[in-house]
Amino acid sequence: MAAQPAKDTSTQELEQKQEWWWIAEKKRSKRLDYLRKAVWKKGALGGNYAPGIKVDLEIPQLFTNMWNFWRYDPPMLRRAKSMAHVLENMPIFITDHAQLVGYMGTLPHTLAWRVDGATMVNEELYNEPGVMPEPEQASLKRVADLNAYWAGNTAVDKLARVLDPEDAVKFLSGAIGWGAPTSAYGYSGKDYEFMFAQRHGFEDILDLIDQSIEKAEDLTMGNPGPEILPVYDRIQNWDAMKIMLNAAIAYARRYARLARILAEHYETDPKRKEELLRLAQTCENVPAKAPSTFQESLQYDHFVQILARLEAHEGAWPARPDYYHWPMYEKDVIKEKNITREEALDLVGEFMIRAYEVGGFGPRWAREGLQGITGTWVWTLGGVNKDGSDACNDLTLAFLQAARLVRVANPTFGFRWHPKVRDEVMREVFECIRHGLGYPSIRNDPLLIQNAMHWHGHPLEEARTWVHQACMSPCPTTKHGVQPMRMASATANCAKMVEYALHNGYDHVVQMQMGPKTGDARKFKTFDELFAAWTTQMKWLINTLVRTVNLGRYKDPEFYGRPFLSAISERAVESGLDVVSPVGDRGNCWVTGFTWVENADSLAAVKKLVFDEKRYTMDDLLNALENNWNGYEQMRRDFVNDAPKWGNDDDFVDGIMVRCLQEVAKHSREIKCPSGNSWPLLPENVSGNIHYSSIVGALPNGRRLGDALYDGGISPGPGLDKKGPSAVLKSCGKIDHVGDGRAFLLNQRLSPSQLAGEKGYQLWKAYIRTWADLGLDHVQFNMVSDETLRAAQKDPEKYQEVIVRVAGYSAHFVDISRKTQDNIIQRTVQGI
Amino acid sequence: MKCTECSFEAPVEKFRYLYNARIDASISLRQCPQCQAWLATDELAGEATQKVGPGEAPWGKSAGIEGLAEDAAS
Amino acid sequence: MKYKESKNFFPHSDNPQRGDFVERVVDPRQAYYKVKPVNADDEIPADAAEFAGK
Repeated sequence: MAAQPAKDTSTQELEQKQEWWWIAEKKRSKRLDYLRKAVWKKGALGGNYAPGIKVDLEIPQLFTNMWNFWRYDPPMLRRAKSMAHVLENMPIFITDHAQLVGYMGTLPHTLAWRVDGATMVNEELYNEPGVMPEPEQASLKRVADLNAYWAGNTAVDKLARVLDPEDAVKFLSGAIGWGAPTSAYGYSGKDYEFMFAQRHGFEDILDLIDQSIEKAEDLTMGNPGPEILPVYDRIQNWDAMKIMLNAAIAYARRYARLARILAEHYETDPKRKEELLRLAQTCENVPAKAPSTFQESLQYDHFVQILARLEAHEGAWPARPDYYHWPMYEKDVIKEKNITREEALDLVGEFMIRAYEVGGFGPRWAREGLQGITGTWVWTLGGVNKDGSDACNDLTLAFLQAARLVRVANPTFGFRWHPKVRDEVMREVFECIRHGLGYPSIRNDPLLIQNAMHWHGHPLEEARTWVHQACMSPCPTTKHGVQPMRMASATANCAKMVEYALHNGYDHVVQMQMGPKTGDARKFKTFDELFAAWTTQMKWLINTLVRTVNLGRYKDPEFYGRPFLSAISERAVESGLDVVSPVGDRGNCWVTGFTWVENADSLAAVKKLVFDEKRYTMDDLLNALENNWNGYEQMRRDFVNDAPKWGNDDDFVDGIMVRCLQEVAKHSREIKCPSGNSWPLLPENVSGNIHYSSIVGALPNGRRLGDALYDGGISPGPGLDKKGPSAVLKSCGKIDHVGDGRAFLLNQRLSPSQLAGEKGYQLWKAYIRTWADLGLDHVQFNMVSDETLRAAQKDPEKYQEVIVRVAGYSAHFVDISRKTQDNIIQRTVQGI
Repeated sequence: MKCTECSFEAPVEKFRYLYNARIDASISLRQCPQCQAWLATDELAGEATQKVGPGEAPWGKSAGIEGLAEDAAS
Repeated sequence: MKYKESKNFFPHSDNPQRGDFVERVVDPRQAYYKVKPVNADDEIPADAAEFAGK
């Protein structure tokens, strides 16, 4: 069906066939077409990296050599000096036709390796097939030597020695959560207010630091007393920040020099010469100075992202590009007309491609949980200004249009919807969804601003600056609001809550006592006894993860250190503390709740069939579960079909869902982050529902060990929402999206044929109004037919640019496993 | 149960359970331990019904307006 | 051949003993110029020899 179309196939014909990827290829500029096809995909397919992808060994070697040399320095200073050495000596490159530069590896096909993150990851790398650069034996020797140096000395190793042994073992079992509680693998918010709104180039920040050091040295050379003792360490931290900023400026100017060399000695095409000279000027100016052109604005941002990723792995990409790059876009495109809109679109498209190509080596569990991508880059568009007025602008439109041209799976967008968004913007949002990108997700801006104020006390103006910290959770971009270290290890495999409640805390898959002993479920006489056991397991699971993350955060300045991130964060520049220190951070934590809905569906099934109707006994149920439903197929179908399921506007199960969430919300206020703030729940999945399919046992909702869990957040189980889209929304609307948790992911699948044309847009718009009226905070859409997806399974080569929304991210359909593909296809196609 | 490809016969549980794409239907995917073929299995009847290749979905289409999923066992 | 003898070596004006060695690469997906800092008096390794005289 989807062989390369004949050259004379019109755009209209392709639109009728919904072959959006061929349309994109026809419409995008030659430059964007080249750059799009030039990308080496770093996402893993079925857990394996694509042929030709190699791990970068240059940077870890440069880093380790210098780290070893400066062994007597404190962490921030040691890291800054080692990073400076990397930036000065690593090979760099400029791709043909590129107007933006910067990559976190030495060559386009290389994967970054965070060598000081975790020994277990380093060991995986050694054994990973196909990623060693040639000659393989020599590379393996280098890796072995580096691993020998770092063994026992990585950030996770150090933390594991401090952690409670029971917590460590249970966390490392992989059964209850995932992630690594260290900056090495976390993701950091960026203080965009400091860099962009306040217009600080790195030279400006150096001046500020010099002033801070001067004041501090006055103190340390003054009258002795206890109050001056902490200042000594801060002076060293400031020195580290200065080293990083100077190294970053020099690194950018290496690109300027290369661009000039190419223009003068290699490039014969006059137009490309001019572009190279402009690129040289751009890299000369930023990040040393605040940007003065649109290209500089994007380049400054991209340098910041690359430098942050050379410092730590960074699994997400909080950004608000239409807001922070608007001033320079407005100047260059609208006011002064220095560049055309098409030229700006080329830059925007390339900016997205530069993000798409970024990738670091991830352990298998991360690759399974994030199939097809290397992290969740969810950029935030739209929303409101600090004064509450509409922030959507022409750059918002440009990003939405560029997305349809370049069709990358990462970054994706989260669109901050509010009642005053113009129709023109909503149409562009819808076009992206209609083109099957699976994004933008739609976020309820007024509600989420309220949520940020409710849970974490962010003042209104700061709450309005919010960006997606990762896939879902809002986070301000301000001095005290920005969160420098969100570790994915506060990610709970929530289905274990009901599993442990049924099995007295025992995990039959990993075969150990994991949770507390809450009683033999065979002896439970009432539903409330089961629910009490569930609540105990829930608290235990969340506590275990949060204790680990809190400790990781608290020890991070000692065990890791982030001089670059500190140097671009106002509170660190002011205080001289590592930005990761909880001091001055208001706190913006949340617990990601994977595999959440299984709890409600399972509890509802037990309540109905065992305790209310007495059709089965707890004994019957436990026997069936312990046998993985084998030999109990008719009983399993009763538990699936005869018990109400979430997403059908049925108060029986919806009431249980709300009750579960409210128990968690209550507990969220009892547990505190290092800043003393709350830890609300945020149900969503990425592709954790696939990763955990072999870790969660059989459950009363009818699943067996091995089945994919539901696809995310508060999404109903695939095919189990039988009463149409309004019923789904009504179920979700029973949750209080401010007080019951941080945010709640909802996947919905729509019909491309039903939503064609103007009628389709109006139907969708009406749906969004209902969604907003019911007080939901999130929804995202897949709009691609079964036929296309099944064809893509048969002939993946012909469907390389088909994108699907997996959960909090999108992926190219051909890059995800068969099980994940089938899970997505089975999602109910809602008719709205 | 008997493999439809190589005729290997064994109790159902000896065929490695892969997954059930549709929780509300009795068709699962199991793998023959002898020839490794992916087999659609009727869990109620305990029978392998066919080999499942790329793009094939013996459990029917997705639910919803594009055509209600059909259950081969019903 | 030493780096300083190659047309693809560009010394730093403030320190001619160090400079950048430019190589042209065409991989299966893209073409690019790459550069790394080198010492002028070091020998060009065998795997970069094709860029030495260009």
